[in-house]
Amino acid sequence: MNKEQILAKVTDIFKDVLDNDDIVLTDTTVATDVEDWDSLNHIQIIVAIEKSFKIKFTSTEIHHFKNVGELIGSIESKLS
Amino acid sequence: MLFNSFEFLLYFPIVTALFFFLPHRFRWQLLLAASCFFYMFFKPEYILILAFTIVVDYYAGILIEEAKTAKQKKYYLLISLIANIGVLAVFKYYNFINENITGVASLFGWKNHIPALTMLLPIGLSFHTFQAMSYTLEISRGNYKAERHFGIYALYVMFYPQLVAGPIERPQNVLHQFHEKKSFDYSRVVDGLRMMLWGMFKKIVIADNLTTYTDGVYNNLHVQTSIAIVVAIFFFAFQIYCDFSAYTDIARGAARVMGYELVKNFNYPFRSRNVTDFWRRWHMSLTTWFNDYLFTPVVISNRGSIKFGIVFALMVTFSLSGLWHGAAWTYVGFGVMHGFATSYEFLTKKWRNRLSKKVNPFIYSRVSQVLTFLFVCYTWIFFRANTMADAFYVLKRIPGFFTEIANWSVTRTKPIFDGSLPKLGLIYCGVFILLLETLHYLDNKYDVFNKLRNQNIVLRWSVYYSLMIIMIFFASSTAHRFIYFQF
Repeated sequence: MNKEQILAKVTDIFKDVLDNDDIVLTDTTVATDVEDWDSLNHIQIIVAIEKSFKIKFTSTEIHHFKNVGELIGSIESKLS
Repeated sequence: MLFNSFEFLLYFPIVTALFFFLPHRFRWQLLLAASCFFYMFFKPEYILILAFTIVVDYYAGILIEEAKTAKQKKYYLLISLIANIGVLAVFKYYNFINENITGVASLFGWKNHIPALTMLLPIGLSFHTFQAMSYTLEISRGNYKAERHFGIYALYVMFYPQLVAGPIERPQNVLHQFHEKKSFDYSRVVDGLRMMLWGMFKKIVIADNLTTYTDGVYNNLHVQTSIAIVVAIFFFAFQIYCDFSAYTDIARGAARVMGYELVKNFNYPFRSRNVTDFWRRWHMSLTTWFNDYLFTPVVISNRGSIKFGIVFALMVTFSLSGLWHGAAWTYVGFGVMHGFATSYEFLTKKWRNRLSKKVNPFIYSRVSQVLTFLFVCYTWIFFRANTMADAFYVLKRIPGFFTEIANWSVTRTKPIFDGSLPKLGLIYCGVFILLLETLHYLDNKYDVFNKLRNQNIVLRWSVYYSLMIIMIFFASSTAHRFIYFQF
């Protein structure tokens, strides 16, 4: 799976968890750019990503994602 | 020392003048000495508690950073947390736990021989221990480098403006500021003073005048009419907001005068559209603390079943945040109710989102605001009531409000409040609440507080003088302590 495919799948997860079809994500998107992306939703997004990609993040990773790019990068490295 | 006291009126200008007079390298010493003096004004020997946690956390911070293995890191962090929570447990929760042991023992006909402690609760204990814990927690998470300067670290915990009632700071936000050289900036100084003036106004004029009624009613519930009780429930909401946000304003203002920026603690909480939103706007520094160090880790470790994990974490977090306020079941009750409300909101979020799209948005948001405000007022009954029995008594009396209104011709012949509470003051209180809400509305819509800065000198100073004149004429005759001092 390449970066674009991961981003597309992650965007779908965001749309589903946040119940908002207008979400557009890029590598530099941060939590404040997306309406309702708060700490509560963040964990739900993380869990949905873990389930969908069948991967597991450590709690340090969950705390330290600074933007969507880092999240995608981490998913990519776990898949390879 | 109280912000709303004569001593502070002398203390603040002296400390501030000395601060700007001294060269940068001596300032941390001045601020530390001044903060010790500020704290020791309450009960001098309790400074030893602070000294203990400061020494432990200072060394724990360095050891955590230098630890070679994750296990060592965890071990030093644990020492720091045990020291801080231990201090809280002994000085704040010991008697509460002991009383409950006595209660449980008596159920079985046993006697509890553990003696009760008779001592005053150290002021602001929950605030500075939480701030200290955030320091070692942030270092262990790798978000901050341990502070090597012992004096500056001590100042991080003891900085007098926020020592006893917050905002609860993070090392990332303030520690570096104590190393920076601050210069005298006229417009910043005036800005800080303006914040302090508004804080003093809210405390002395609004909160303390309302306290006369809320104390009068809550301390003498059985002689009150239901109308008086309901008025007191609503008055308490404005009292606690004005009291606590005033403390934050004075703290942030005093810090800003010297060039230090403290975090925002309130963001128009009464405009919240749901309870979750309320906690993002009320005592924000405590909410983010619990969110980062308790709620999120609990959710992460229970994320196998995410819905259960979040509800469980919400209940744990809010029950403990209730208990954070005070060692009594009434505070736990307050927290548990908020736990239920936020869990309900979490579980029904999608459904409510869909509902909101079907209803006129203006009506939906107003109704949400009113319902949220009513819920928060309801939970504050438990927060304010002296005992759990009193809280339930208040609930039992609420329906009487409608009966008394329906039978107004009978009600009006008797005094609404018991005789000791003046009627005129009641009208003032109503006017002040109206004034507060109008100013909030104007600020929210037209940013008036910010715009005041750029007005001409005549207008600015007439506003300041008007506030001061109102303060002189309408100041409450008794100066009350800040509610959050006891926490």
